[in-house]
Amino acid sequence: MSETKYLETHEWYIVDGDNVTVGISDYAQGELGDIVFVTLPEVGQEFSKGDAIVEVEATKTVAEAYAPMNCVITEVNSTLETEPELINNDPVGEGWMVKAEIKEMDDSGMSYQQYESFIS
Amino acid sequence: MSESKTTSLYDFHLSKNAKIIDFAGWSMPFSYDGTLKEHHYVRKSAGYFDVSHMGRLRLNYSQIEEINYLICSDLKNISNTKALYSIFTSEEGTAIDDVIFWKFEDDLILICNASNTNKIKTHLDIHSINYEDLTTSTDLIAVQGKNAIDTVSNIMSVPDKFSTLKEGKYVYARTGYTGEDGLEVMLDTNDTLSFISELEDRGVKPCGLGSRDTLRLEASLPLYGFELTDDISPIEAGLKWTVTNKEDYLGKDVIDHHIDSKEHKHLKRFKLNAKQIARTGTICTSDGVEGIVTSGNISPILGYPIGFVLFKSNPTDDLVEFDIRGNLIEGNLLYKRFLS
Repeated sequence: MSETKYLETHEWYIVDGDNVTVGISDYAQGELGDIVFVTLPEVGQEFSKGDAIVEVEATKTVAEAYAPMNCVITEVNSTLETEPELINNDPVGEGWMVKAEIKEMDDSGMSYQQYESFIS
Repeated sequence: MSESKTTSLYDFHLSKNAKIIDFAGWSMPFSYDGTLKEHHYVRKSAGYFDVSHMGRLRLNYSQIEEINYLICSDLKNISNTKALYSIFTSEEGTAIDDVIFWKFEDDLILICNASNTNKIKTHLDIHSINYEDLTTSTDLIAVQGKNAIDTVSNIMSVPDKFSTLKEGKYVYARTGYTGEDGLEVMLDTNDTLSFISELEDRGVKPCGLGSRDTLRLEASLPLYGFELTDDISPIEAGLKWTVTNKEDYLGKDVIDHHIDSKEHKHLKRFKLNAKQIARTGTICTSDGVEGIVTSGNISPILGYPIGFVLFKSNPTDDLVEFDIRGNLIEGNLLYKRFLS
């Protein structure tokens, strides 16, 4: 598995062979406040880089998570439908959102160090 | 833009790791432990809020006639130990601000929205009403919650609901903005930290403006600038119960007309059976009548999205369609409060 990378739109992703796992960063969940609803995509849905894949409703505001590369959804974290607070509590672990099969590899995300300086 | 104002508790809030936001020109705590947790502190036990950004003006009892002319409620004839929620109305019958009066036998304390303090002061000046601005020399702490009264009864005497008291360093009333019982306490800025530590020793938790907003919405309470503005009358905002002033007052003609006629805007409560929140500004329609959401959020107790919507005229149907980012989401109007 490769390192966790971050996007300027505050998603993280991890590439594992042909697959990618996506969620939102700790910074993003902190900015959103308490997450109360998550709308996940369907397995099999295809997304291009930059498409909105997940909608996150928080007490403070609403946000979308965008696809880090062209991909097809293979699994969604359906636990989030009943426990959306997992994203607040463990955004880069149990709060993962989707797994997808990569259609076109784009590993241009930032390293954690680069992301840290981007948000500070 | 001028620098944000801070209450005397600003450093205290930082020491508590509060998330700070700008609200009406003030740097205020948004949350400490998180909005949902703080919401539940209040619904299940007790929380305290620094609401010292709200304007506090001391008025002369001798001018009560003149003050009564500026509001839609009867301040003059209630007893001298009462707290009164009322609305300053304009000549056009619209809401200048919604406020609380604490009535004492020697003076009146007027508490107004932070965003409207200057507007209210100007309005009082125009009508030759004298005031002493206590906003920076005092703090205002709201202690609210299911157990709030039990807890504060160990610190101070507890007045009846909607009643006021002055006791030692505390000037206060049994009022609030969360739907729970509690006190709102004004005290000298030098006394605030020791009061807060007495509250914390008894398990009362700090709460920020985030939970104050979810609590007031769930309790069906309006927020000035959203449900109530200087474009609409108290009647349009569903606050007919505040219109108790039997004498002449500013805007009375328009307000009386709104009471008699249904031909005006109507503020309604709604709920959604969806995982989307219809937030401020969301457009909706109900059987052809267009509306706009004034406030919307999750009800943490009910678990579904709720809110207020202002319709251009009285909707005849309970079903409403909300346009949430291009998706049409169905909701229902409610004729009772969100929480029973």
